[in-house]
Amino acid sequence: MRTLASPVTWMESRRLLTMILLGALLWSLASVDWQDGVLHARGLAALREIACAVFRPDLSWETLGKLVTSAWRTVAYAMAGLSLALLIGFPLGLLASGVLNRSLAKRRAVQAVARFVLGFLRAIHELVWAWLFVAAIGLSPLAAVLALAIPYGGILGRIYAELFQDVPEAPLRALRNAGASEWRVFWYGRLPTVLPELIGYTFYRLECGIRSATVLSFVGLGGLGFQIGIALDDLAYGRAWTFILGLVGLIVLVEAWSGVVRRKVIL
Amino acid sequence: MKIPVATRPTIRMMFPKMGVIRGSLAVSAVLLVLSWVFVLGWDRQQRVPFFSAESAARAWSFMQDLAGVGRVTSPAYGELSEWWRVARLAYETLVMSVLAVMLSGIAAFLTFLLGARNVMLGELAPNAGWVSRGVFLAVRMAWAFVRAVPELVWALIVVFVFAPGILPGAMALAIHNYGVLGKLASEVVEGMDAKPARALQTAGAGRTKMLLYGVLPQALPRFLTYLLYRWEVVIRTTIVVGFVAAGGLGMEFRLSMSNFHYTTVTLLLGWYLILVLGVDLVSSQLRRLVR
Repeated sequence: MRTLASPVTWMESRRLLTMILLGALLWSLASVDWQDGVLHARGLAALREIACAVFRPDLSWETLGKLVTSAWRTVAYAMAGLSLALLIGFPLGLLASGVLNRSLAKRRAVQAVARFVLGFLRAIHELVWAWLFVAAIGLSPLAAVLALAIPYGGILGRIYAELFQDVPEAPLRALRNAGASEWRVFWYGRLPTVLPELIGYTFYRLECGIRSATVLSFVGLGGLGFQIGIALDDLAYGRAWTFILGLVGLIVLVEAWSGVVRRKVIL
Repeated sequence: MKIPVATRPTIRMMFPKMGVIRGSLAVSAVLLVLSWVFVLGWDRQQRVPFFSAESAARAWSFMQDLAGVGRVTSPAYGELSEWWRVARLAYETLVMSVLAVMLSGIAAFLTFLLGARNVMLGELAPNAGWVSRGVFLAVRMAWAFVRAVPELVWALIVVFVFAPGILPGAMALAIHNYGVLGKLASEVVEGMDAKPARALQTAGAGRTKMLLYGVLPQALPRFLTYLLYRWEVVIRTTIVVGFVAAGGLGMEFRLSMSNFHYTTVTLLLGWYLILVLGVDLVSSQLRRLVR
């Protein structure tokens, strides 16, 4: 909310932002070491080789078999991780939205704590968590699932909190006037109203989860990313492309699925 | 939507005619069960299950290592010189994230109109031929492709071409985020109010003028907001890209983990959190300037 007395008027604030963005661009470009050459000695040749290999993906039965098993592994991580994230994000999001408390002081306190927890969960990337878990406990698929669930729980909680807050007040007031407690108001008023959007958003996150699960496998947990990494280490670009194209196919499929769900849901 | 107060609302009541959603939920439920069976079954084949007394003991000793308990030398996070050394890496990481956002932002800004359906094919394209149809499809497919491949995989490829430093990491982040930003920005254009642009057209403005004065002013604020949101995501991912692109906190994190310099890892994670929280703060302040 900007008042008339604000020193920065609308146009000025835009101009300020433009200056900041331009400055950031120049600063970051100036920080790159241009002197010693930005390309490898054989960089362009490697680029050509990699680009050409996309037309010659490795389609041997062995690779295709690996593609199927590692794709399933990636999907399994994503599904299991997201379900756990739901268990973390839903209750925390509910607390962070502050819709259950009628007294202001109590609500503020609960909201502050829940938001802090959500912010912390969100702060660290899933691959960092995965690496820490693997270093601490060892290679287990649960390390990947847990690593995925922590940041995704934080993200889901934040979005769910916003959804629960942005419900039209009139039907809720009707419930309250009928004597419903805030808990009941949530269960019969808020949740049914936002459920379509909630499902839509969660499906969108599934798509991101599969991408993240791919990356998680780099710490040695199998899956598509692991195979891509091995193939590139072997300089087997054709085999790397097989897995990359498989990943793209998988993501496009899930994107289409979540797109259909969201279109149905948001009328 | 009628919801009888006496009974708890069910999925069937909320989506009376939506077979797709019920079907999707059913498919997800099946996948979910299979996934957990797979994950838990595989976990039980490990010598040490994830949730066991031995795992807990290992996790506890790992946390002690991170804190530097029982070490002869003082922990890395207790040395001022180490703080400064890692501060330089944090600065490098910050530059990498800004560069990545700027590169993807420029690329997306130059092309996002080519992927907007209404501009290329729909009501804002008075005489759309097969050329604009082809360009539209090509741009959309390119975005879907670069978006589907995660940043770390792009980094693995990019390091073959670029010399180590902040540039390959920034390029990898920029390639992925170009696809994300392009999609988001074109969706903004598709969802915006087309009347001002149509009015310009009726008043005799050419296509360029119509896009410049009718479409851009509406789309730009949302575009900048998305750019700043993506920066928050990118700063979290920069450390991950650094694992392979040899820049910033990520590389040092990888080395410290491999050399068991766990107190350095603690210091790195501390700086990482400072960066993430700082960027979240700055980004939310800048977003207020957009409005």
